[in-house]
Amino acid sequence: MRLPRTDRYAELEPLLAQVEHPSRYLDHEWGACDDQRGPFHACLIYADVYEVGQPNLGLAILYNELNQQEGFSCERAFLPWVDMADLMRERDIPLLSLETSSPVASFDLVGITLAHELVCTNIVETLDLAKITLRATERDEDEPLVIAGGPSVWNCEPVAPMFDAVLLGDGEGAWVEIARYVRDAREQGVARADILAGLSRMAGVYVPSLYDVVVDDTSTRWGYAVPRPGSGAPEVVYKHCVNDFAATEPVAQTIVPYMGVVQDRFAVEVLRGCARGCRFCQAGMTYRPVRERPADQILSAVHAGLRQSGYDECSLSSLSTTDHSECANILSQLNRELSGKGVRVSIPSQRLDSFGVDMAAAVGSSRRAGLTFAPEAGSQRLRDVINKNVTEEDLDNAATNAFRSGYRRMKLYFMMGLPTETDDDLRGIPQLAEHVLALGRKILGPRAKVSVSISVAVFVPKSHTPFQWAGQLPLEEVHRRQQLMIHAASDRALRISYHGSWPSLIEGVLSKMGRRGFDLVYEAWRRGCRFDAWTDQFRFDAWNDAAAAVGLDLQDVACEEFDVDARLPWDHTSPGVSKGYLQREWRKATQAQVTADCTRTTCTGCGVCPTLDTSNRLVGERA
Amino acid sequence: MSTLPPHACRLRVRYAKDGRLAYLGHLEVMETIMRSVRRSGLPFEVGNGFAHRMRIQFSQALPVGASSKGEYYDLLLSEPLDATVALEALKEATPTALAPNAAVILPRRVPALEAWVDLSCWDVAVRDSSLHAPGFEDALGRVRDEGVINYLRGTKPRSIGLADTLVSCEVRDTDGGVDLVLHTRSSNRGALRPAVLVKAVCGLAPLRVCRTGQWHQDDDGTLRDPLAEGQGVLLP
Repeated sequence: MRLPRTDRYAELEPLLAQVEHPSRYLDHEWGACDDQRGPFHACLIYADVYEVGQPNLGLAILYNELNQQEGFSCERAFLPWVDMADLMRERDIPLLSLETSSPVASFDLVGITLAHELVCTNIVETLDLAKITLRATERDEDEPLVIAGGPSVWNCEPVAPMFDAVLLGDGEGAWVEIARYVRDAREQGVARADILAGLSRMAGVYVPSLYDVVVDDTSTRWGYAVPRPGSGAPEVVYKHCVNDFAATEPVAQTIVPYMGVVQDRFAVEVLRGCARGCRFCQAGMTYRPVRERPADQILSAVHAGLRQSGYDECSLSSLSTTDHSECANILSQLNRELSGKGVRVSIPSQRLDSFGVDMAAAVGSSRRAGLTFAPEAGSQRLRDVINKNVTEEDLDNAATNAFRSGYRRMKLYFMMGLPTETDDDLRGIPQLAEHVLALGRKILGPRAKVSVSISVAVFVPKSHTPFQWAGQLPLEEVHRRQQLMIHAASDRALRISYHGSWPSLIEGVLSKMGRRGFDLVYEAWRRGCRFDAWTDQFRFDAWNDAAAAVGLDLQDVACEEFDVDARLPWDHTSPGVSKGYLQREWRKATQAQVTADCTRTTCTGCGVCPTLDTSNRLVGERA
Repeated sequence: MSTLPPHACRLRVRYAKDGRLAYLGHLEVMETIMRSVRRSGLPFEVGNGFAHRMRIQFSQALPVGASSKGEYYDLLLSEPLDATVALEALKEATPTALAPNAAVILPRRVPALEAWVDLSCWDVAVRDSSLHAPGFEDALGRVRDEGVINYLRGTKPRSIGLADTLVSCEVRDTDGGVDLVLHTRSSNRGALRPAVLVKAVCGLAPLRVCRTGQWHQDDDGTLRDPLAEGQGVLLP
């Protein structure tokens, strides 16, 4: 049922004194859009707390884009933390938007970010708190249309029953087009089912209710999706792709939060896509092609953004910023222009093979806090298997440059459980880190406080990657390999930390399952699971019980290997990368053969450019 | 001791904390004001420490949920500036509910604001229809006689002595409860929060708290306005 659009802040206000961080629920931030007259109203939701969701660049882009359209307004909503959610339920207050404190269930259109797999139960919690009917097929005519989008749409089947539609790929242009279509259709009195059919004909829009799931000999146990006869829905929905990235707004973040948020800085997206071809990386496959923003646009965006926001830090963000053709020039020019103003320029992570002397000097300007690199694997053989394309020599050079530039702290990211991994590969991880530690002591002196820490995550096979057929490491084996690594470390100055193996297992389960996975998600939520990405809230026992209740075994699901020729649950949604390319890459991985980066050599045949009628767009020659 | 360039000057700003922004914590207020200063384009001083932070000092923290008619910060400017110009620039760049309403230029060297401003006046509205002024005053007297309030801040036990911190408390009846005008003194031994006092007197009750003024009290009892010795402008 659609709720009436009324300002209900007065009901929320008395609760503010009773909850943690009331600033999560205040709105009125600098740069928030005050004019929410509509008459068409959309609400973007990030299904986690404010401080996690607000820095999301995608949300900022779509918020501004729709608010700039005449006759449309767009608000934000975040999932209240457990204390507030419980109080709201107690007082019968539904989930409210931030800007006008209107019930989310009063909006015409609701967009929800699928940020990662562990957000699944939060989406159930969001819809339940909002009083929006959970299953899309059971919604009333006048209820909001609920549309998903974001980086984790590439196997959205376990949450698909909750969405009227899912937007695959870039949101720019598409979000406004969807809103226009829904507005016009509603004005003309078009039935909900017909609106959905119309949406399914738009580029990048997948309407789950128009597909049946078939399980047969050609599929895994999760089946594959086929369009319902007569629905007109395409067999494969390809992603929406923005070819002219330079034409998009570079100053996307206009709202300045009051509270400390997870990325508390102004960010400019300097490029989109990455063609390095790391075989475990879903973003590397799904955000192709590579599109760089021109240097002058980046520089003016940084100055404008800092001036408008008042931030004292700006981040040049992307999947691989140091790959930008003009990265070193941009960094040095920014450092020169911002010198003496107390402003720091940062980049999210550095690639080992592109972190030269200039880069070491330019990153982080005068602050030398610490650097993060991701070798990902402890041996050259395994780095070739995953197509990381970095060598130990690259690590030596990067570490040498960093220590000589005054850095003393270094963090190295690795994964365990990668296909073909052996115990020797794992022993190589602490050896590599100790080598970096020794290098730091040699350069900075034996008494210098050099610190090297390593963080080891469990590899989770993701859809639309060359490793999508692989199984995840069983828990017992994860724990054995963790012990192996700890005992292989001899230098006590080395700090080793692990990502939790249990949340990784759930991530693996949700990455593998088809639409039947919704039963598990719903059952887990019903047993109290929410905020699963928060260590203190994650409850493995509840997930285990939920799995048993729906007749599943979590390890059995996550660790299952798929046949390379099997039809997969996500085959009907495509980022443009062909299955043939992924199969080739899978075979090359098993032989430890590498594939080059197509922005530096020739086309590697991933299929994105011809399928989406697009191409890499670089602003210069890549080093 | 920190050194200031010869051309630097100190801008003291008074601002309100109002409406829903009363629920901002002190760190959030500080960060918001620092961002406002950056947006205003004023030529602020940057420290020489590791983080190159803006040189700014704030008066004492206001409890989360309390509003205020007069909080203060001192901003070190790297070049001389007219207080009127600075105030206008800051107003333009600050969220309305934290908008500055007065600014003066002060001598470069003055005592640190947080410690120097030590006397606060509060309006407290306690909304509990079972409360009446005489009963509240009796209960307050008993709490005063005990001399110390022990309370929990989060999960941590705290105590505050009333002899040093509670200067006066006027109580009057109003619709649905009592209104208080409270004067408190702070020192390095602590500061009395109105909510802590009210809870000790009458238990949990819905409150509205507003700090209406802050001063420095000299040894002879004279109250000094934080803006009085500067040259500047007060907006209505």
